[in-house]
Amino acid sequence: MVESRWFRRAGPGIVAVGAVVLVATATLAARDRPSAPPTCAGQAGRGGTSGAWYRIAPRVEAGERRGQTLWVGRPGGSAPRVLDLDPESFASGPFDGRVLVGTDDGTASRLSLLDAADGCAWPIAVSADVIRRATLTPSGDSVVEFRVDRRTRRDLGVWERSLRPGAGATQLLPPIAADGRFGVTWSTELQWSVDGRVLAVQSCGEVACRSRLLDTASGHVHELADPALGAIVGVDRDRVVAFEACRGFPCPLDLIDLTAGSRTNVDPLAGEAVVATDERGRRWAVYDQLDGGLRSVALDDRTVRDLMPEADARRRLLGTPTRSGVGADLPPGWVLVASGDTHEPIGSSAPDARRVSDGRIVHFDEVPR
Amino acid sequence: MSVQHPRPRAVAFLAGVLSALLTAVPAAAHGPDPVLGGSLWPQNQRLEFRWRSGAVPPAAIRTAILDAAADVGATRGSKAATYAYDPAGANPIGYGTGATCGVNGLACFSRSAPTGFFMWFREQGHVFDWGSLKWCQMYTTAPTGCYDAETIALDELGHVEILDHHVNYTDDSDYEDAVVQTFSRTKPRDGWNMHGFGRCDVATLQREYDVLSWTTPYSTCLDVDTVLTLAASPSSIPYDSTTTLTATLRTVSRVAYERLGGNPVAGRVVRLQRRPVGTTSWVALGTMTAAAPGSYAFAIRLTRSSEFRAVFTTPPDEGLNGSVSPTVTVVVAACTSSCPLLLGR
Repeated sequence: MVESRWFRRAGPGIVAVGAVVLVATATLAARDRPSAPPTCAGQAGRGGTSGAWYRIAPRVEAGERRGQTLWVGRPGGSAPRVLDLDPESFASGPFDGRVLVGTDDGTASRLSLLDAADGCAWPIAVSADVIRRATLTPSGDSVVEFRVDRRTRRDLGVWERSLRPGAGATQLLPPIAADGRFGVTWSTELQWSVDGRVLAVQSCGEVACRSRLLDTASGHVHELADPALGAIVGVDRDRVVAFEACRGFPCPLDLIDLTAGSRTNVDPLAGEAVVATDERGRRWAVYDQLDGGLRSVALDDRTVRDLMPEADARRRLLGTPTRSGVGADLPPGWVLVASGDTHEPIGSSAPDARRVSDGRIVHFDEVPR
Repeated sequence: MSVQHPRPRAVAFLAGVLSALLTAVPAAAHGPDPVLGGSLWPQNQRLEFRWRSGAVPPAAIRTAILDAAADVGATRGSKAATYAYDPAGANPIGYGTGATCGVNGLACFSRSAPTGFFMWFREQGHVFDWGSLKWCQMYTTAPTGCYDAETIALDELGHVEILDHHVNYTDDSDYEDAVVQTFSRTKPRDGWNMHGFGRCDVATLQREYDVLSWTTPYSTCLDVDTVLTLAASPSSIPYDSTTTLTATLRTVSRVAYERLGGNPVAGRVVRLQRRPVGTTSWVALGTMTAAAPGSYAFAIRLTRSSEFRAVFTTPPDEGLNGSVSPTVTVVVAACTSSCPLLLGR
């Protein structure tokens, strides 16, 4: 696979003023330091060309994480662009063709928004605190960040930062209170509901997760703190699809009705799962089954559709971006599938996509947009 | 680790009602590990694993995983699956790149018994909210705060068998009763380097897969009732003749015992007691001799009718409850020739 490295080789320490510094520093000491992508013109935010995809994966040398590699691609057959990140780094999106990237070199965290089409990036923020995760708001005019203290790794809460030049950050949610049922927080993830109204801030212990569901319109926070629950798969208004607290698959998949305060089991033996919207706007929990098939369950009336039984047993569903490390702009009615049993696309190539209505599989580039 | 800060006024806090409604009733503390959903492997299934291409663990972690596989064989106490490395094995174990573990945890697995499984381990240096992962095996001298890869691998292999996380006492005083735990411990906390299944792991493996042999000790995390029967052959004998008493020791056949119900219990100590007909005090005769699996025999020469019972005392080192057989009477005919002279009677 030919890759288009975003970064040319350059002399050590040479980083143009104003360029977007995203690359690993000390961890890449043995390599020539790559240069940064050029800075995009105009205002950062949404508004790019939809259809981007990304994949982020650790770069392991001699058994140890030395950094992460980010591949960003778009339809049209061009080779994906490649970015080397620090060991502590992340990506989220895509947001209309743009990928939000954070990387921390041990002294500062830097946020940038990459444009998949133009190969440029907007610098968003530099923070002395560690920005562990970030996402763009549905309106595209601000970024939501989760931070920890650099020295103590103490939770510093969730912050919102406008993309307007010079704007500061305000705290959106405080640090989550300690709860022995969940133990130390291993990972905090930010996820928007399907309609973009609710921000789910998920704090996972070693196995179980709790979530704060912030209604951005009203400011109300629903706290979901059930140690029987694991990672959230998706949020649709007052319904949450989540795994139970498992360390692997199969894992029970549950549907939680926040209004009724009820939790019902969708499938006791589910594999990877996502929440998808079909062409008519109906929301479905889509998940792998043990026999290799893919099942969809409507969130409104629990209608069940078995899409792809035995014939494509190896075409596994790719889970949410935080689980799979893969994110993509897809039109309604499509989900990402891996090319094999590893739950990941082949190398750095684009993932395949599968239409929920009839199970048709196409390459990412061929998804009708 | 988290510190609670006052929440901004703009955020209305509705915690409590929902969490109370949604909080599951906690399972009873302590006991055999719960089980995961899905099927069991066939008894004594040999599961061959290989290193996943492109995601091969470093040598130190490979050694730890191999050691954990050996730990399973040495400590399963049951007919649970065993694990063996084979370069052509059907079940890949990967490390780091491409791991599908989600956002948390040290390792993860996928099991689809009886077809196969796969497993992933996080890479050294994987960064969590709390900091960077350290595997003890990656150091010449394991530092404080590292995770023991052999222990974690054993935990994962236990999951692949069927084990879910052990439910501990509130104070975690029973943590070392299971290696399959919700919360992993780092060096030097108690239980950070368990290299064998704990008794409550074994209990569930025994219940689901059966004991390895009829002489295998039952895990002390179990509480299995036994039933002891006794028969005399013949039950009527001439004066001064021999009869053989045979006891049979089994576990009670009970649905909750799953595969353990009705098992012969062999290699234990079963004692025979006797009392003359018409008396009330039992007198110990001795230990019965093991015969067929679960059978214990004792031959005795009798000159008078007697009652017998077999006794299996609750052993201190396994999870079986003692039992006493019903009384068996052996009738001895009157002496008809060369009878002893009874004085003082």
